[in-house]
Amino acid sequence: MRTTRSAFCFVLLTVTLTGSSVFAADEYEYDLVHSSVSFKARHLDISWIHGRFNEVSGKFSLDRDDPTKSTFELTIKADSIDTANAARDEHLRQPDYFDTKQFPTITFKSTKVKGIDGGYEVTGDFTMHGTTKPVTIVLMGGEEHEFKGVKRVGFSTELALKRSDFGFDPKAIGPIGDKALIMIDCEGVQK
Amino acid sequence: MPDPLLYLKSMTAAAIVSAVVMMAMVAAGRAAQNAWRNSACVIAVGTGLAIAFRVQSMWPTWPPVSALDRLVLIVLPIVLSLELLAGFRAITDRTAWSLRIVLAVVTPRILLHGSVYLDGSDVNWTMARIGVAMAISAVLLVLTWRLLVLLSLRSEGPSIPFALAITLLCGGASIMLAGYIKGGAAAFPFAATLSGVAVTLSISRWRRPTVDGGNTGCGGTALIGIGLVTLFSLLFIGRFFGRLSTVDGLVLLLTPLLCWVSELTVLKRQRPWMVGTMRLLVVAVPLTVVVVNARLDFDRRMGPLLLQKFSSLPSAAVGIIFGTNICPVDASTNTTVPSS
Repeated sequence: MRTTRSAFCFVLLTVTLTGSSVFAADEYEYDLVHSSVSFKARHLDISWIHGRFNEVSGKFSLDRDDPTKSTFELTIKADSIDTANAARDEHLRQPDYFDTKQFPTITFKSTKVKGIDGGYEVTGDFTMHGTTKPVTIVLMGGEEHEFKGVKRVGFSTELALKRSDFGFDPKAIGPIGDKALIMIDCEGVQK
Repeated sequence: MPDPLLYLKSMTAAAIVSAVVMMAMVAAGRAAQNAWRNSACVIAVGTGLAIAFRVQSMWPTWPPVSALDRLVLIVLPIVLSLELLAGFRAITDRTAWSLRIVLAVVTPRILLHGSVYLDGSDVNWTMARIGVAMAISAVLLVLTWRLLVLLSLRSEGPSIPFALAITLLCGGASIMLAGYIKGGAAAFPFAATLSGVAVTLSISRWRRPTVDGGNTGCGGTALIGIGLVTLFSLLFIGRFFGRLSTVDGLVLLLTPLLCWVSELTVLKRQRPWMVGTMRLLVVAVPLTVVVVNARLDFDRRMGPLLLQKFSSLPSAAVGIIFGTNICPVDASTNTTVPSS
């Protein structure tokens, strides 16, 4: 009887300890309504063309006690590109640019997270146009706000990429600059 | 942006290199044998294409991630090997056609590999629908292939490879006008290589007729196989990855079959050069309609984006294919305006 009780206590203790470490991280889902993934690229090297991706999903877990255990994931549907011009959007979906029938998504998945003053420094794999490269982004924010009983947290970041690094045809770059700036402002809703 | 001067350079290089390789192989010895000429055709096409892709900086990436890479790195080597094998007398006609049918069946699958069509993420394309599309494509390819080879065995000559070459040119222009520049540009080296080899093959046949029989038509069949599989693949890619319409794709694929017009009684007894010319003229009619239609569609779609007057249709079409910029001309300043 004593053996059984000891075993039960051990199991309970283990579950409690393990559980506490699991639940220390808060899980959030990307809130499409209050977030945006937009970009801009140079046109003829004299001005900027702006656009955005309308269909984005993602999730992140935040461990306030140990930021290195936090994770971030983002999936962008390349087909949802929107530059406020339907003809140009259609052109950008073609194989010369995003090739959305072959590479339907653009993804980011964190591999290393470090807490910094005012946010997180997140290193991860960025996959676009079938090419994966490690990138490091600085996520600023992370303040929580409870609205109607639901906890929310927000981040923002900017990321500079060269399209030619991701297998885009250099000849298709033309009057649009090789370098593109991606701006991510996202709000997460706690699960 | 399209670079017509580069396309012209690569086409010239492809035509010259393939013709020189063909001539060298024909002169090398066993020129009067069908199998040797067939091998010469395949090797000449392969060499010409390799040079053209180099000039055009179209070297595919390994592993092949795009459909165009898969065409160049998987489908093209298979069809070249197949036509090389088919030229040997040890390979029976039945075996050769069995291999061609297998290739026709697997080509659509290879080209669509890893795309939204096969992973089920495109709601408009269920697995059943894409299966039917691939099956119909394969059947059309086999039928067209068989009919063109049959025609070439009835009346040989360079007109069928030439018909395929001009269809490739027009197909490339249509794919470009539909928005896929690199896909369209890939067609030009194929057209030039086919033409270069077809001319050299005709000259070699005229100077030294073949002495043995065989099932291959001494090289003409190989050119048809390579040209047709390439044309099919580019149109398939243009349709499924670009914006080439199904109707345009079908018309372009089936147009070379109009070469059968030469079997009409009134034309059958004409001189070979006249028969060849008639074939090319008949084939050119629907091709012109498709390219003009593609150009009009381009103007309609891209007009709002470009926001200025376009250059006149003939000069623009000539410019796209032969030498000037695709950019429209601003009539007020007479300068080209880059698209965004």
